[in-house]
Amino acid sequence: MREDADIWDQLQALFHLAEATPENERDRVLAENCSDPELLRRVQAIYHGAHVEMEEGPIQPWNGFVLSNKIGPYSILRHLGTGGLGSVYLVERMVGGIVQRSALKVLAPHAAGAAFVERFHREQHILASLEHPNITRLLDAGLGEDGQPYLVMEFVNGVHLNNYCDEKHLPISERLELFLQVCDAVAYAHRNLVVHLDLKPSNILVTPNGIVKLLDFGTSKLIKLDSLLTTTISATPAYASPEQLRNDAVTTSCDIYSLGAVLFELLSGRRPNQNASLAILIERAMNEQEPESLQQAVTEVAATNRGLTENRLCTVLSGDLANVVAKCLRPRAKDRYASVDALAGDIQRYRDGRTVMARPQTRLYRVGKFVRRNRKVVAAGVLMNGVILASLSYGAWRQQQAIREGQRALRMQTFMYRLFKLANSNYTGKPAPTIPEFLKLGVKMLPDYIKNPGDLREAQLGLAESMYENGELDDAQKVFTATIASAKASGDISAEAESEAFSGNIAFLQGQMESGKALTAHALELSRRREVSPAVRVWSEIYYAWNREDNGFRDDKNVQLLRSAVQEARDHNLSPHETADALYNLGSDLELRGSLDEAEQVFRQALQVYGEDPSVLCEQSEVFGDLAYISDMRGNIPASLPLYQSAYDGYKQCSGPDSRGTLTEEEYLAGALIKLGRAREAYPMMVASMPKWRKMLGSSPDLAEPLNFMALADVETGHFMEGEKAAQEMVEVQTGKVEASDRRFGASHLLWARALAGQGRYREALPHAELADTLLNRGAVSAGAKKAGSDAHSELLEIQSKLASR
Amino acid sequence: MSATEPGEITVLLREWGSGKTESTEHLFELVYPQLRNIAGALFRGERPENLLQPTCVVNELFLKLVRQRSLRFEDREHFYSLSARIMRRVLVDHARSERRQKRDGGLSVPLHEGMAWIDAKHAELIDLDQVLGELEELDQRKCRMIELRFFMGFTVAETAELLNISTASVDRDLSFVRGWLYDRLHTG
Repeated sequence: MREDADIWDQLQALFHLAEATPENERDRVLAENCSDPELLRRVQAIYHGAHVEMEEGPIQPWNGFVLSNKIGPYSILRHLGTGGLGSVYLVERMVGGIVQRSALKVLAPHAAGAAFVERFHREQHILASLEHPNITRLLDAGLGEDGQPYLVMEFVNGVHLNNYCDEKHLPISERLELFLQVCDAVAYAHRNLVVHLDLKPSNILVTPNGIVKLLDFGTSKLIKLDSLLTTTISATPAYASPEQLRNDAVTTSCDIYSLGAVLFELLSGRRPNQNASLAILIERAMNEQEPESLQQAVTEVAATNRGLTENRLCTVLSGDLANVVAKCLRPRAKDRYASVDALAGDIQRYRDGRTVMARPQTRLYRVGKFVRRNRKVVAAGVLMNGVILASLSYGAWRQQQAIREGQRALRMQTFMYRLFKLANSNYTGKPAPTIPEFLKLGVKMLPDYIKNPGDLREAQLGLAESMYENGELDDAQKVFTATIASAKASGDISAEAESEAFSGNIAFLQGQMESGKALTAHALELSRRREVSPAVRVWSEIYYAWNREDNGFRDDKNVQLLRSAVQEARDHNLSPHETADALYNLGSDLELRGSLDEAEQVFRQALQVYGEDPSVLCEQSEVFGDLAYISDMRGNIPASLPLYQSAYDGYKQCSGPDSRGTLTEEEYLAGALIKLGRAREAYPMMVASMPKWRKMLGSSPDLAEPLNFMALADVETGHFMEGEKAAQEMVEVQTGKVEASDRRFGASHLLWARALAGQGRYREALPHAELADTLLNRGAVSAGAKKAGSDAHSELLEIQSKLASR
Repeated sequence: MSATEPGEITVLLREWGSGKTESTEHLFELVYPQLRNIAGALFRGERPENLLQPTCVVNELFLKLVRQRSLRFEDREHFYSLSARIMRRVLVDHARSERRQKRDGGLSVPLHEGMAWIDAKHAELIDLDQVLGELEELDQRKCRMIELRFFMGFTVAETAELLNISTASVDRDLSFVRGWLYDRLHTG
């Protein structure tokens, strides 16, 4: 017999030939193509082996079939079904003369271990206390004669959630109704400190009366894992939260994620990450991949099951519902709904036609605001050549200080003046070359000049706030922490409130939500006292409310607080700067909530109040940027252009040409120029800024945004080879971090296609154009999205016609 | 694993990918004992039944290896191929020790529903391992494909993506190899 090595290729060739040939001709064709009987025999044997499963059938895994008719004290009536953990039976038992029927689940032998029953009794008082119309109660647990562990639950006559809905072709509104029952149950359990950890459609039954019943609450806790096996992953990891997949700490937020996955399937017909293996799910969890888009998951079958056409379902699922689902499925727990009640609240809002709290990542390409909020005037700026820009800002600072006690203000003025002089002289051997160093120097020098603790505190606050304004958050935080302690020790409520307000804001900016919440809440509380100045009260209100809004603790009360901050600033004649800052924060919140018209009004008021004061240039620029963006989003590009220009110019002047704020405004300016047909001007701007972006972002997926503008500028000015590279990089930098069906990939591939087409490489351009056409036209709803879709389609048609004419 | 330097595993992975066998041994040494314990626990049945599927052990391996944050996913294919190779060794060794101790678990655990005629707890797995060794001599890529698909549990699409070929190629090749394996295991 010849070695397989010698005949390897032939074996394969013949095998595939056999597979491609209909049964009745197979033997004949093989014989024709193979004259060696030994080889022929091998091929036939291999062919048989490849198809043998069909005949013999797979090994049956254990399914928990019980042979006797009694388990423990329960008599088995009939087999109900086989689930992931084992088989379920309808059983009955006599209890105090009454026949009780329940559902008994037999678990795999040793599935729970000897400690299982002990654990049940420990958890029982919690689990038994869960009394809710939508939760099936766990009644009993034990070991059968053969040591088989079993669980006894309330018997429910019901059907799995998805089957129930599909069989009845339930429309979206009724599916949501059922889902709200699920939320009700889970919220109740959370209030009782029980987390489910294994929520999925097969754990949710619906009775013929349309009542939802949740199964397996607390089962995860019972089937606890030993130290060797550290994961809490259940049978279907598809519904498990990323933190469960990563084996991180589990919290109630895991249930919120799973609820989101269930909702995703309920609405679209398939679950998120449908066709992914466990390894890939874990990889995505590790990469903190963003959630899939709801409308991309829609199929015709799913639409029929919801009583709609495919297009209609896409439309329904592309608005607020998509945002709600996405907010459950965020990779980081802190970005999801904070509670099941919040989720249910939003669904209820949707059904009432009100605005939901969940916002989309609308600023897909507009990265979060990196400019600080509500700055106080900086004390001074010291430039590289040692010159102090003291006069302007010092004057404004003096104005600020007039709000405080006159005496203290005077002392502060003296100190600051001396500080400026020193910084400009060679006190430390050389002048402080940068603002942060200057401020640090100030803090270091303070005790030498100011002995009174109250004054020292004031000075520290002033400097810390300046550090904060300059973005030196860590340094500022250190000083605020000290002033909080000092203020508490002296009973200086005003300073304490002021310090806590700023400190809390910094905590939020640094991602420490709990600390931020606590500090700003306490500051707000303190600020209500009489001895606190209106300015401090206004800051406390703003920091408290804005940070809650921006970090997912949305509440209409917050908007009220922001409005009252504006009012208070006006009533007490606070400085224009402070009033404008209050207006700006209100405007930002309105924008965040989608009230664009009012946001625009408020922003314009802020601009007016900022006036011509050059020390507030950064703030002003930010407002211009916001107004520009609003116009842009509305499609009014000519109006947005001068606004982007002002924003860019202002930013460049106040924070330098290389700051993120400046670069962001620059790319949007470039974008507007391109849209107006002035790509020639945009091109050099993007070429110059790309290296700066790379330095700042490395290979973060955020780089896709500037690359988008660069590629666009390339393509519009005929630099097709460069455009091709940029588009390719756009795809690479997002791959693995962004869902493959995301529209951003559509945009990337369209640019790629255009760049290739521009070089005459139509054949290569075609697949990119096809992909772009698919991705951008699927579920396009907004005017902007529809335009992108039709642009992609036009490009595809053009490429196709070019190829056809060859 | 706590004694491992972050990055060490990455370096070893790269070396493994480029054929340096000494580093393979070291890498195995690092990861193997953990996995053996886990597999042992799995097969003692200390887990709900359906999780006895060996491919679920991937989670443990993945978590332990990927916690070294410097693991970049350019090394994906290396990483997963290595994981699959390790998984195979772990399972085979476990099957050997089961046989030695004449343990009758009673429980059948199919290796994978795509190869459901191989009982992972059985001596069949040991034979499979040996035959896979022959396959590796004949056709290394197909061996890797089997490992990725059936020991790591990747879907056909994912396997294709990792190996940078089409799903149609994967389907065809798997069909052939399954047949070949069956034939080798049932003759002689």
